[in-house]
Amino acid sequence: MSSHSNQDSNLHYYEGDQSKLYSGVMSHHTDVESTESKTQIKKIWKVFWILLAITLVEVFIGMKLSHSIPKGIIVTIFLGLTLLKAGYIVAIFMHLGDEIKGFMVTVLVPLVLFVWFIIAFLADGGFWLHMNKTSPARPTTSSVQVEAAK
Amino acid sequence: MSQATATTTQENLWGGGRSPYNVSYGKIMMWAFLLSDALTFGAFLISYGTKRFFSAVWPDANTVFKSFPFAGEHANLPLLFVSLMTFILIMSSVTMVLAVHAGHYNDKKSVTKWLLWTIVGGIAFLGCQAWEWTHLAGECGGLWGTFVDVSTPVAEYQRFFDPNSEVVKNIFATNPLEAMYATHSFFNYFFTITGFHGGHVTSGVIFNILMLVRTVNGTYERRGHYEMVEKIGLYWHFVDLVWVFVFTCFYLL
Repeated sequence: MSSHSNQDSNLHYYEGDQSKLYSGVMSHHTDVESTESKTQIKKIWKVFWILLAITLVEVFIGMKLSHSIPKGIIVTIFLGLTLLKAGYIVAIFMHLGDEIKGFMVTVLVPLVLFVWFIIAFLADGGFWLHMNKTSPARPTTSSVQVEAAK
Repeated sequence: MSQATATTTQENLWGGGRSPYNVSYGKIMMWAFLLSDALTFGAFLISYGTKRFFSAVWPDANTVFKSFPFAGEHANLPLLFVSLMTFILIMSSVTMVLAVHAGHYNDKKSVTKWLLWTIVGGIAFLGCQAWEWTHLAGECGGLWGTFVDVSTPVAEYQRFFDPNSEVVKNIFATNPLEAMYATHSFFNYFFTITGFHGGHVTSGVIFNILMLVRTVNGTYERRGHYEMVEKIGLYWHFVDLVWVFVFTCFYLL
């Protein structure tokens, strides 16, 4: 029990001012017109323009180039740009980049599971396509025609 | 990185009496919820991908999504409308983060202003989605469970595919039903996933309206901090984050 400090002194963490729990960027400031505040706002708008530019590049590739460039390259470009956008949103807009390292790791590590999920399930889908080509699980156009002729 | 870590050693970081993560309880719980929600959305999108890998052909996004409100029946404006929706959602994310920022400075007037803009953005996005759903339901003859009847005329679903693709030409010459099953799956997944996302946007708008009322009433001002705006802000950015992936999976790939 030695690690537990006085219960009464913890109460303010849950009720009232929680600013003691905040990291640097999260803590209270007083002057919204300060240079610190203005730098932060500038950063937010910068990220907005970056996100907009990435989206426009994606749309341009999707509209003009998606049928002329090999599929593998297109998919890589799109996934790369998507992860870049996701990174900006999580790091800047959700302020994860301003949290302490331990918290970042706690939030991000479980998402590594997705790597396995994606590989396993897409491979399974591909295998089903392969099987379905050799022994179709659903009615094919020719089997329906045979049925109709009877 | 943070002032607290600079002054606190690793030893007493986990010694009790403070949050070792330097984050309040409510925000940690919001992150935990968002993680589980990310897994749910991930499961939907991976399931969509599995079905797509299962299918020899798949509807072409540039052909399915080419309409724009008031542009007429035969408009060919691929991706333009969804780009507008994406722009609206990114914009509302910016206004939300500006509301959070104003909250750090206890600036009630700015929080009110930016929350209001966020709500406007959210409602605009939902309006766009309502139009797109109505339009596609008209194209398909319903929302879920369309394209299941084997006697459906081929032309009903051939218009959703890329007419220049060799694989598509080959399937329509030999086994067009394969393309019908793909169309069926495509629209089922589309309405399920964008619907689930739209549900998140709807609840986000409701949360934002509640927060706006409380901000105007001075609830957070009396409390001394705008942490609730931060927590709902996290949720709102997450909804934007999910849209980034939905946009890629349905409209780009």
